Amino acid sequence: MKPLKKTPFNKVHHGLKARMMDFGGWDLPVWYTSILEEHKAVRSRAGMFDVSHMGRVWVTGKDAGAFLDRMLTKSVQRLEIGSGQLCLLCLENGGILDDLYVYHLGIEQYLVIWNASNIEQKLEWLFRWLDPDADITIKDNSSNTVMLAVQGPAVCRLKNLEGLSYLPRFSITQTKVGDLSALAARTGYTGEDGFEIITDAANALPLWESFIEQDVKPCGLGARDSLRLEAGMMLCGHDMDTYSNPFEVGLGWLVDLEKGDFIGENALLEIKRQGVSRKLIGFQMNGREIARSGYKIFKSGQEVGQVSSGGYAPSLGIGIGLGYVPIEMATVGTGIEIMIRNKLTPARIANRRFYKRGESSESQGI
Amino acid sequence: MNPKEYRYTQEHEWVCPESGKVGITDYAQSQLGDVVFLDLPAPSTQVEQFKKMGEIESVKAVSDLFAPVSGEVLEINQIAIDEPGLVNQNPCGDGWLARLKLSKISELDALMDSDKYDEFIARSGEEDSE
Repeated sequence: MKPLKKTPFNKVHHGLKARMMDFGGWDLPVWYTSILEEHKAVRSRAGMFDVSHMGRVWVTGKDAGAFLDRMLTKSVQRLEIGSGQLCLLCLENGGILDDLYVYHLGIEQYLVIWNASNIEQKLEWLFRWLDPDADITIKDNSSNTVMLAVQGPAVCRLKNLEGLSYLPRFSITQTKVGDLSALAARTGYTGEDGFEIITDAANALPLWESFIEQDVKPCGLGARDSLRLEAGMMLCGHDMDTYSNPFEVGLGWLVDLEKGDFIGENALLEIKRQGVSRKLIGFQMNGREIARSGYKIFKSGQEVGQVSSGGYAPSLGIGIGLGYVPIEMATVGTGIEIMIRNKLTPARIANRRFYKRGESSESQGI
Repeated sequence: MNPKEYRYTQEHEWVCPESGKVGITDYAQSQLGDVVFLDLPAPSTQVEQFKKMGEIESVKAVSDLFAPVSGEVLEINQIAIDEPGLVNQNPCGDGWLARLKLSKISELDALMDSDKYDEFIARSGEEDSE
């Protein structure tokens, strides 16, 4: 077995006696004290996540924008400098290789932030379509930088982030966080307000400490998963993959079929014309049982699909999930059953945004 | 912290020979994390030593619960079912799971006493940190 990869925060995680796991080859914390406590900290105040395992790739040069536009389902050249957006990287058949964020950092400069899984495969895919004569540099700076996600309703009241409260959602800026030079983007994966902060690996510990001093709670992958699921956010590799297309997972709005030639365009046009046969839906359990990824979905005793993400929703106190069902039954309110331990257990299709900001726990001052 | 009068399994369950109550140990709950759902056998079910008698779900995962001894389920802890966090807070006390009528007292000999169990978890802790 290959040794696990470590982020520059690794010693901090071990020092806090976090429960660690092998997450796609990375040694990362599942929780420090408790998933529920960490989840609640993010919903009520502020928590932070080491997300340095995610890929950070700078694409620069005169042809960078045109190249990304050819690879992605949405135009990034049209983004104003300082803005970012969610995009999909699709195969020629329309299958989803990854969902990623692209920020327009400056003239002929783009930053791609993508999931930790299959980074080699994704880089290979980009290079495969790259014209060797094009004026483009693709540089993966994941290992010499860190990324910390600071999330929660109180983030703009933290003293080293309060100056960033003007930053619009999905925008990025080169700034100072305390006295550390960093890129800060107003985004996250929790359904709360928050920032993702990218800085040199050498700044990792002072950055972490600056938030510890302000009682920002360290949070692990367990809370990251329960928070994103409550917010109805998909996890690539689980809820979507190369065998699913943007229209069936509800990301048709990320596919711009007018923007000009891009990889997957023809297949996606055809899928859109034909319509999809299945849909990724949200569901919630009627009782207290918890559905997990891989469990089968039934309707009137017939197997109709599978759970792609499932778990306990701390803000709601029930089991929720995402899963695929045939398009004709994909209506909010429809009763379904999930096979849990050989028992058909009642559930119903629900709006995927199980949790909406500001509806649950009250925000507390800092 | 592991009561002297209890007996323990290698799967980190305990049984109180006197009351017949069974549950999971503090070590088990610390490994599972926040418990959010208990699937326990209905009263009058017969359970068999070291065989699965239920499931415990934490936020992160599902784990099997094995019967530390054979017997009939007399009662399950409805308070813990309604508030599974009790299993984390007080696994050897209020967070008990079921009360059994032991059918073979001799089965207790196959279990560890608290000293042996403490040694057992100290050893598994070493393996974890390797």
